[in-house]
Amino acid sequence: MIVGEQKPLDEVMELLGDARKVLLAGCGTCVTVCFAGGEKEVGILASQLRMRSKLEGHAMEVDEVTVQRQCEWEFIDPLASRLKDYDVVLSLACGIGIQGMNERFPSTITLPGVNTTFLGIPEKQGVWEERCQACGDCILAVTAGICPIARCSKQLLNGPCGGSQNGVCEIDPDTPCAWQLIWDRARELGTVDKLLEIQKPKDWSKSRDGGPRKIVREDLVLIDEQTGD
Amino acid sequence: MNAKRRVRYVAQLLDQIGLEGERVAMANISSAMGAQFAELVTDTTERLRELGPSPLKET
Ligand code: SF4
Ligand code: SF4
Repeated sequence: MIVGEQKPLDEVMELLGDARKVLLAGCGTCVTVCFAGGEKEVGILASQLRMRSKLEGHAMEVDEVTVQRQCEWEFIDPLASRLKDYDVVLSLACGIGIQGMNERFPSTITLPGVNTTFLGIPEKQGVWEERCQACGDCILAVTAGICPIARCSKQLLNGPCGGSQNGVCEIDPDTPCAWQLIWDRARELGTVDKLLEIQKPKDWSKSRDGGPRKIVREDLVLIDEQTGD
Repeated sequence: MNAKRRVRYVAQLLDQIGLEGERVAMANISSAMGAQFAELVTDTTERLRELGPSPLKET
């Protein structure tokens, strides 16, 4: 899932500036599960904005809406007719949803209320950890199912480094060394031989280094009957 | 434990708004602690009186 956290209220107030009518838009998927921008967080932030703006002497009108997914056109299209009523939309979706709103509704300003942080897992209630950096060429089969791209501080392909001490990464005593985890699991699985092969430098062109990425599935793309394209 | 942490969270939400977080508090008291309960209620009432009514209240 995509994990994010709400921006501090002071920053949100600054972003909203002089706006008087605000639509606060949540998303019912990832940001709901990480408690950053679901229906409940929309409700709480809307109340905070109403009270704070009133205290500051310029009461804002804040309406609330939460769609199932802000990152898909069919879920945001029903908002179209309402948007003209607002000075601005404050979105509590991830960066994809916020851009979805801006792209679909170019004459409406949609501002970010969430800092999108990483792709991760709710490790336990109230704790989220990064697990994947969407590198475009997954190597989990070699690394015992544990990702060194997202979880090793140096993104080493042949680890660990000399900074690995008692299972902990040198950058921070609360960060487990990913390569220690990889070796431990490989030993359990009997796949240590895979780790003994030196991994060649990764092809980063499939990751962000190759520029913005795009996937096209010709078998799924709908053909326009009029133009034949 | 959980309730206490949530009360702390609500106090923080109030602080961010600019309302005093001390307006919300939680205490654990058993049914046998009558005197302490009375004291707590008096203290709370005094604290709230000092803070005054919510500035958001329409006059
Ligand atoms: S190797 Fe790449 S795709 Fe696989 S989990 Fe790690 S970052 Fe994600
Ligand atoms: S200590 Fe482990 S996780 Fe940290 S940089 Fe070295 S190999 Fe990577």
